[in-house]
Amino acid sequence: MSLYLWFALMVITSSIWIIWFLYRPLKSNAMNLEGSNIALGKQKLLELEQDLHQNLIDEKQFNQAKEEIATTLAIELQQVSNIQNNANDNTWVLILILALLPVMSIGVYQYLTPKSNMSQPLKSTEKPLSLEQSANKIVQYLQTNKYDYEAWKMLGLTYFELGNLDLSIEAYEKAYQINPKNPRLLVEYASMMISASDNQFSDKSVKLIKQALEVEPNAPDVLYLAGMFAVSQRDFNLAKGLWQRALNALPEGSIGRVALVNILSELEAVEGGQDMPEHSISVRVDVSNEVLKSRSREGFIMIYVKSAKGSPMPIAIKKIKLKDFTGQVVLTDQDSVIQGNQLSRHDQVIAVVRISATGSALLGVGDIQVFSKIINVADNPSIHLEVK
Amino acid sequence: MLIEIGHFALVLALVFALLQVVLPTIGMIKHDGILSDLSRPLLWMQFFWILIAFFILINAFLVDDFSVKYVANNSNTQLPSIFKMSAVWGAHEGSLLLWALILAAWSVAVSIFSKRLPAEVLNHILIILGLISIGFLLFLLLTSNPFERLDIVPIQGLELNPLLQDFGLIIHPPMLYMGYVGMAVPFAFVLSSLIRGQLDSTWLRWSRPWTLVAWAFLTFGITLGSWWAYYELGWGGWWFWDPVENASFMPWLAATALVHSLSVSEKRGAFKHWTVLLAISGFSLSLLGTFLVRSGILTSVHSFAADPARGLFILIFLVIVIGGSLALYAWRASLMQSNNTLSLLSRESGLLVNNVLLMAAMLSVFLGTLYPLLLDALGLGKLSVGAPYFSAVFVPIMIPAVLAMVIVPFLRWKKDATQRITGLLKWVWVGVGLLFVISTLLTDNVSVLLAVFLFIWIVTHSLVLFFQRLSQKGSMNLAFIGMIFAHIGIAVFLLGATVTTQYGVEKDIKMDIDKPITIAGYDFIFKGVTRLSGKNYQGNKGHVEVYFEDDKISDLRPEKRQYVTGMPMTEAAIDPSLYRDIYIALGESLEGDSWSLRIYYKPLIRWIWLGGLLIALGALLAAFDRRYRLRVKV
Repeated sequence: MSLYLWFALMVITSSIWIIWFLYRPLKSNAMNLEGSNIALGKQKLLELEQDLHQNLIDEKQFNQAKEEIATTLAIELQQVSNIQNNANDNTWVLILILALLPVMSIGVYQYLTPKSNMSQPLKSTEKPLSLEQSANKIVQYLQTNKYDYEAWKMLGLTYFELGNLDLSIEAYEKAYQINPKNPRLLVEYASMMISASDNQFSDKSVKLIKQALEVEPNAPDVLYLAGMFAVSQRDFNLAKGLWQRALNALPEGSIGRVALVNILSELEAVEGGQDMPEHSISVRVDVSNEVLKSRSREGFIMIYVKSAKGSPMPIAIKKIKLKDFTGQVVLTDQDSVIQGNQLSRHDQVIAVVRISATGSALLGVGDIQVFSKIINVADNPSIHLEVK
Repeated sequence: MLIEIGHFALVLALVFALLQVVLPTIGMIKHDGILSDLSRPLLWMQFFWILIAFFILINAFLVDDFSVKYVANNSNTQLPSIFKMSAVWGAHEGSLLLWALILAAWSVAVSIFSKRLPAEVLNHILIILGLISIGFLLFLLLTSNPFERLDIVPIQGLELNPLLQDFGLIIHPPMLYMGYVGMAVPFAFVLSSLIRGQLDSTWLRWSRPWTLVAWAFLTFGITLGSWWAYYELGWGGWWFWDPVENASFMPWLAATALVHSLSVSEKRGAFKHWTVLLAISGFSLSLLGTFLVRSGILTSVHSFAADPARGLFILIFLVIVIGGSLALYAWRASLMQSNNTLSLLSRESGLLVNNVLLMAAMLSVFLGTLYPLLLDALGLGKLSVGAPYFSAVFVPIMIPAVLAMVIVPFLRWKKDATQRITGLLKWVWVGVGLLFVISTLLTDNVSVLLAVFLFIWIVTHSLVLFFQRLSQKGSMNLAFIGMIFAHIGIAVFLLGATVTTQYGVEKDIKMDIDKPITIAGYDFIFKGVTRLSGKNYQGNKGHVEVYFEDDKISDLRPEKRQYVTGMPMTEAAIDPSLYRDIYIALGESLEGDSWSLRIYYKPLIRWIWLGGLLIALGALLAAFDRRYRLRVKV
């Protein structure tokens, strides 16, 4: 049903309501002001007698108060103008309401709603916009606002969330062309490029990080990325220095700070043990038929491990479309999210299975998550998780 | 589409509010009963559409519809559902929608439960309430639309202020608003009487129960706010004389004066001028409070100027409400002449003195709250007015008010004699004196001694009055019991507030694992900190064992959270009891396994809120007194 049909229905309901009471008026309590004041005058006299009985007023004052109540009542009755109400023919009200209600309500609504928004609601659905719809809306918006780099950046992020890395990079590139000096954009763009190339640092991503460092040399997210690049080059000292600088820039007690402290300690472990054995975790997942039926086959299953203590960031992850999922995955150092923070470097982890419609890094509405118990990585364990 | 329907529902509510004013007014002018009586159905439909809009906004929060600007700014997918619901009134637009909804709900309640009011009076009252509704709906639609869409839909919303992610936020604002908005009802009663030119018994009698209910909600809302600030802000305080708190306290003081003034006016027909002014000021202060809190004036004077549309609307609305009602008052002043005589020593005079003291106290708060804002707005510098000012000005005004509060119910109406009162109460005063002398053996703290004296004074007088009435057959009623509850509530509050302020212990200390520390006779042993992970936050959870005389009495686990937006929050751990609270807030990590902790010992702090609850309960009991339920025989 279209929006204006809904509006019409609401206006019709409202009109019927008024017309109903116009022709079937509510019963009044048949009490007039005169009667009410007389009754209350009597009531006050009764209460006054009670006060006398309770010794809250003496005899002399009681008589005076009684007179005062009578005088007050007389004044009140004088003020009352008892004009009888009539039941007139209210056809004009009916016509007025039928004409005015839609004109006024729709008119005020149109006056309050910006013209650009007027046509959009008709197309929108009742559900919140999906990522695809968001992307389409941003594309529409960009047709008339093509120099809005924030919009291009948001489009890039949306495409990334949708798993369309090529379009994501294309959108980021547009944003970059418009505003090459925005450090947030540079960091996001670089991160996308790194994700798109299996966590490898391309020349372009390194260039972006360097540019970001020039614009904002002490921004923690820029320093973090630069540190990651240093680790990929196995320049652990440089990485440590950069992350220390990021640590200094982060406020006490912030999540980023906690994560960086963990990464720095892991970096020390990497430096201390170059010849550590490699471990893996085999995860078998049974997804119940009820869950499968309620999910699109285009949805994602994400199986990852995170540290049992410390940062909640995934250490190693596999993201597979539900239609391609065979029931078992093996997480190894190759699946590590961050180079230098391999799975084998951890002692105890927790495995997580998440079924998500979007595959987004953030837990979304309707996502299902199942957690394992704490696992010892050194045992190269095989675990079994059920998603019901 | 649902969002547009919500927006349109608000527009329809506005149209119905307009019709609620226009059609019955025409009906009254033309003496057309059918048109006049349309006020009720029109109001009900107005309420229905606001309710629909409200539910649609709640739904937008629950389904994470970030295409709505208000939702995107105040919620995200990781916010627990219960806080998504309360986030609806967590910021300006939504809280104004709640205001409009509660106003309509109050109006519906008046239209349904005022069966003893003549229809013409009720219709007038509903017209006034409709006018107020128009003001708020216009404010919502023109400057604070909660259904505004975003051109670009963000993937994720922002965070609701973590301070507000708490059970307290779910109930505190609605309760407070019930009180604020409830003050519109006595205001509408007064204005309808002024317009009709009939300041009679009907108005006085039937507006009092509504005033009492509104006052009960206001008391309950303020008490809840104080309790919430205590456990959520991590400072262990219960009242900060903060402008936001003062904004709710001012209408409370005016409403307190009004319920007492109404009791004289309805029974003796005296003080009508005063009652009218109190009803007007009660609602005006409620409006001022809501706007001060919600317009951004209090956060920064400049934010008021930063949004000229809202600021201008607020000013115009306040000028219309306050100026219009005062103009009406001036016009009808001659109708409020009373020939009733009373002597200097009488129950009426006693209540008047208390009223004057309450209003003087209110003005002292008003001055302390608005003067610094005014200076700042005029660029005359910044002035900080805090607890020292209020202790020096507010407290001395309230002490005589509290002393007189329990003497007045012993006074006779119209005229009494000093000898009778002293004869009646001399043994009570001897008892109070004896109890006070005994209490001086327990403490030498002057403030505590004063509070103990006032506590004994109020409780003894109240109990004597209670038992005196109990002995008189058929003289016990809900209004009287309510008064006793409320007065004892004041005593309980006073003692709790003073003892906790004077004897409370606060320590900022470094704690090492397993090394006990003694504070106020309790031993605290820090057992360490573990990591904590919630749906939208991470953090640390401390563990402190509390011992008293070698017996373990509690395991307290204070938390320090870091929300996804990066905002840190302290979640204090409290071991509560009626005679003391032990309150621990986790500070920062120090070297090694040491942490800084804030430990508070708070004697009698629960009495503060217990007192508030007793006052609210007393008001509700009084509102349901038999004489307000009597069917008036015609």
